[in-house]
Amino acid sequence: MKPASGRRRLSGDHRNGHERLTRDLSRSTRSLIVGLVFLACAYGAIAHADTEVERGRRVFHATGGCSCHTNYPGEEDAAPLLAGGRPLETPFGVFYSTNITSDPETGLGGWSDADFVRAMREGLSPEGQHYFPVFPYTSFSGLRDQDLVDLKAYLDSLPAIKRANRPPGAPFPFSWRATLTGWKWLNFDPQRIEEDPDRNAEWNRGNYLVRAAAHCGECHTPRTLTGGLDESMWLAGSVDGPEGALAANITPHDETGIGKWTTPDLVWYLEMGIKPDGDSTQGLMSEVIEHGYTNLPRSDLEAIATYLKSIPAIENELRVE
Amino acid sequence: MNRASFINSSMIIRFTIVATLVASFGLASGVQADSHEKDMPLVKYRQTVMAVVGGNMGAMADIMKNRLDLPGHVAVHASEIAEIAQLIGPAFKKNVATDATDAKPEIWQDWAKFEKAISDFEAAARNLEVTAAGSDPSAVGPAMKALGKTCGDCHDAFRKPEEESFKKKAESDDD
Repeated sequence: MKPASGRRRLSGDHRNGHERLTRDLSRSTRSLIVGLVFLACAYGAIAHADTEVERGRRVFHATGGCSCHTNYPGEEDAAPLLAGGRPLETPFGVFYSTNITSDPETGLGGWSDADFVRAMREGLSPEGQHYFPVFPYTSFSGLRDQDLVDLKAYLDSLPAIKRANRPPGAPFPFSWRATLTGWKWLNFDPQRIEEDPDRNAEWNRGNYLVRAAAHCGECHTPRTLTGGLDESMWLAGSVDGPEGALAANITPHDETGIGKWTTPDLVWYLEMGIKPDGDSTQGLMSEVIEHGYTNLPRSDLEAIATYLKSIPAIENELRVE
Repeated sequence: MNRASFINSSMIIRFTIVATLVASFGLASGVQADSHEKDMPLVKYRQTVMAVVGGNMGAMADIMKNRLDLPGHVAVHASEIAEIAQLIGPAFKKNVATDATDAKPEIWQDWAKFEKAISDFEAAARNLEVTAAGSDPSAVGPAMKALGKTCGDCHDAFRKPEEESFKKKAESDDD
């Protein structure tokens, strides 16, 4: 009995041990599986977040590094990144750029992705207030949903800075948001940038970058009396550029535009800020290059060049009064 | 006729008064007004010096952006720029108050900052010279970009923007 019992016991022990082992094994297998799944999910989330932020960084650079939202001219190297407060002179008065850091009180910290998409696409705050069109939602409305969400993810990844927004210094009625209902009715159609099947992928990428992300037209296209873009003069230059500066004619017109610039000239310019004659670039353009375009992949710069060389050449010599 | 000539002579008188006022205002600023004409060759020289720098920048850009097979050339242009950089301070020492220059008064209001900008520029040119002569071709682009930034920083602070440039004004006046 003893041995039998012992055996039994043994076998019982063995069986118990086996069961336990099986149980333990299956438990550890299960926890291993659960652990692996959890790790995979976590890794996936991190990897996903990373690629979202990484993609967003490229969108950010394509916008010119959202340079208007940093007060480089007033505060130079000490300017808090993307915390706004930069005066933007327009023919309608002075407007101050806003805080787009992730600060919950003064920035975009409390915003959902949907809030951000609506602001960029419709020029409306989360509370439904109209934004002044000095914020170029007129162009950004052409950005794709994924690019907008990625851009927000990138902005969220940067340090939050507390700085309250300043009200505009523009005179009535331009400081009055209600006026903007009429302005939008006159001048704003959210744009959709469709792929042109007759053009190659490079041109289409360039079209998207120039029209939406890089929002070139906002400065380089002259405006109508009511402040809308004069599409018949697309990228033909403006004497009422940002901060009262000249914005060059960047159509391929030989004498008054950049018709004599080669594709390498254009790519080099957007990378280095150095013109074909060796001169440097001033003002906001040098900032959007330094904080934005220079960081874009070469293929994006070539796409911009390809698009710019394809648009109608418009003769427009810029002159100051 | 009489009335017309009366208006004309009254206009002449008014013009004379205004002209006298302007002239005496000019005289009040004394020798400076007198020195404009005399200093024009100096202003012209400064502009030529800057054009020499721009020429070297443009030549380097031609080589790099088109990948021209001209070993050693970028280093020579960078060296030229560093040499020329040393001429800028002395060339701008004298404050010539005239519209016929794109130099901003800030140069003479903050001479130390101006000199610092020039020495940053020279250092960046020397760095490009060394980098271009070195063994890492991938470092040349960033060194060039850094040099370009010193051009832009100094121009932002001390050169009139295009919309205020005397050249643009001259073109507009031609119309």
